[in-house]
Amino acid sequence: MLLQVLLNGILIGGIYASFAVGFSLIFGVLRIVNIVHGEFIMLGAFITYWLYSIFGIDPFLSLPVSFILLFAGGYLLQRFVINRIIEAPEIMSLLLTFGLSLIIVNIALIVWKGDYRLVNPEYAGANLELGTLIIPYIRLATCVFALLAVGGLQFFLQHTNTGRAIKATSQSKDGARLQGVNPARIYAITFALGAAITAIAGSLLSMSFSVFPAMGGDYLLFSFFIVVVGGMGDLPGALVGGFILGILQSLVTNFIGAGLNYIVIFLVLYIMLITRPAGIFGRGLIE
Amino acid sequence: MNRKSGIVVSWWALALFLVIVALLAPVFMSGYALRFCTFVLMWIGLAGSLNLLTGYTGYLDFGHVAFFGTGSYVTGVLMLKVGLPFFPAMFTGAVVAALIAYLVGIPTMRLKGAYFAIAMLAFAEAMKHVVLELDGITGGGNGLSLPIYTNYTFFYYTMLAAVAFTIAITYWFGRSKFGYALKAIREDELAADVSGVNTFSCKLIAFAISAFVAGMIGGIYAYWMTFLTPDDSFNVLLTVRMIIMAFLGGAGTVLGPIIGATFLASIEEILWASFAYTYLIIVGIIVVIVVLYIPRGIVGLISEKLIKRYGKGRKSA
Repeated sequence: MLLQVLLNGILIGGIYASFAVGFSLIFGVLRIVNIVHGEFIMLGAFITYWLYSIFGIDPFLSLPVSFILLFAGGYLLQRFVINRIIEAPEIMSLLLTFGLSLIIVNIALIVWKGDYRLVNPEYAGANLELGTLIIPYIRLATCVFALLAVGGLQFFLQHTNTGRAIKATSQSKDGARLQGVNPARIYAITFALGAAITAIAGSLLSMSFSVFPAMGGDYLLFSFFIVVVGGMGDLPGALVGGFILGILQSLVTNFIGAGLNYIVIFLVLYIMLITRPAGIFGRGLIE
Repeated sequence: MNRKSGIVVSWWALALFLVIVALLAPVFMSGYALRFCTFVLMWIGLAGSLNLLTGYTGYLDFGHVAFFGTGSYVTGVLMLKVGLPFFPAMFTGAVVAALIAYLVGIPTMRLKGAYFAIAMLAFAEAMKHVVLELDGITGGGNGLSLPIYTNYTFFYYTMLAAVAFTIAITYWFGRSKFGYALKAIREDELAADVSGVNTFSCKLIAFAISAFVAGMIGGIYAYWMTFLTPDDSFNVLLTVRMIIMAFLGGAGTVLGPIIGATFLASIEEILWASFAYTYLIIVGIIVVIVVLYIPRGIVGLISEKLIKRYGKGRKSA
C-alpha cells in the first residue's frame, strides 16, 4: 500500500517537475515570477483536449502542437508586452502577468464554459501489474514524456549556442551583452521555451486530470512550492521538488485526507522559507 | 501661490461636502441604494487595507482575502458559539487577523516581494481549508448562520466608521516618520536599511495594521450578510478586486483606493450580474493598461496634470 502510494506520487511528480522547470527557467533568466504560468498549463491541456475530441488525434501526438503554439504565444507575449516592464520594479511584472492571467482565464471561460472535461483515449484503463503494484500505462508514459522534455531542455541549454546564451544572460546580463548577445531576444526565447515546456506538461496532465479554464490557479501554486523547495532558478532542483510535491500529495491524500493538502503545502512552504529559503540544495536565487 | 492655495481650499471644501453627503446618505436612501452604498464603502475599506501594505511597502499581497475571511469567521463564531456582542467579536476578529499576519510575515517578508506575493496566495488557500476542516466550529462547507439583524442604517454607519478609520491611518502613513520609513522601503529597501530603518519590523507592523483593517471589515460583513461560507469569505476574486481598485486609483495615496473602489464597484454593479466573465476580462485589461501606461493610477495622472498647470508648490514659493 505504502509502496503503491509512493509510486503514484512519483509518476505524477514527473509532470509536476516539467511545469516547474518552465517556471524556474523564466524566473532564473528574466527574474520575474510569472503569474500567467498556470494558464500555459491550461492552454496546453485544452489544445490536447480539442485535438482529441474534435479530430480524434491521439493525445501524445498533440504534444508538438502544444509546444509550437505556446512557444509562439510566449515569444510574442514577452517581446511585445512583458519586455516593456522588464526593468521596472518587480511589483509591476507581478501585476502585469496577473492582469494577463485574468484576461486569459475569463476568455477561456467564455469560449469553453466552466465544465470539467477529460481526455480519455481507449488505452486509458490499461495497467501494468507488478506483483501487487498497479501502474497505469498512461501515467507511466506521461511521466516518461515529461522527464524527456526536461532532459531535452537541459540538453538544449548546455549544448546549443542559444542555450548557452540563455545561461550567460541569467548569470550576467551585461556580461552577455558584451559578448554580442541581445538580451531582449534571449528573454523572448527563454519565455517562449518556458511557456512551451509548460504547455507540454499541461497536455500530459489532461490525460489523467480534469481540464477546465480555472485549473491554472492550483498549478501556479504547485509550481511556486516546487521551485521554493528545489531552489528558485535551479533546474535540477525543480526536478527533485516536483517529485517531493507528488509524493507529499499522494501521502497526505491517502493517509490524512485530501482536504488537508493545501494546509500541508502551506506549512511545508512556511518551514522551508524560514529554514532553507534557497531550496533544499541551497542553490536557489533569493536576493 | 494664490492659485495653489485656492486649489487647496477647494479640495477641502469638496472633501467636507462629501463627508456631509456620506453622513446624511441614509436619510435619503433606503433598500437597494443604501445596500449599494454600503458595498462601495466596504470596497473602499478593503482596497484601503491592501493599500496600507502594498501601496506603502511595495509588497503585493495575493492572499489578502485571508484576513477578511479570518475577521468574518472569528466574528461569526464568537457571536454564535460564545454569545459575544457584535463589537467585541469584531474587534477580536481584527486582532486575530493582525496576529496571524505578523506570524505569516516573519518568514515571507524577509525575502523578495515575489516570494511574499505567492506565499500569501498559498496561505489564503490554506486558511480556507482550515475553516472547511474545522467544521465542528465553523460549520465547514455548510456555512455559518449568524444572528439576524436587519438594521441596514446601522451597517452603513459601521462601515462608514471603518472607512474613516482606514483613511485616518492612511493619512498618518503619509505624514509620519513611520510612513516615510515605509516609503523608503518601497523605493529602495537596501538603502532604507543602511539609513538605519529597521525595515523588517516596519514591514511586519504595516502588514499587521493592514490585516487588522481587513479583519475588521470582514467582521462587519459577517454580521451584515448573516451567512458565511468558506468559498465566499476566502474567495480569491475579493483579493483580485482589492488589488485592482488600489492600483487603478493610485497605490500609496489616500484618495487612490477611494476613487478606484468607487469606480470599479460601480462598473461591477452594472456588468457583474449579466456579464461576469466579460467584467473580469475588462478588469484584466485595466490592470495591463495601468501597469503599462499609468503606473501611478488615476490620482497620479491627475496630480501630474495639476503640477504641469500650476507648477510645484516649492517652485512657486
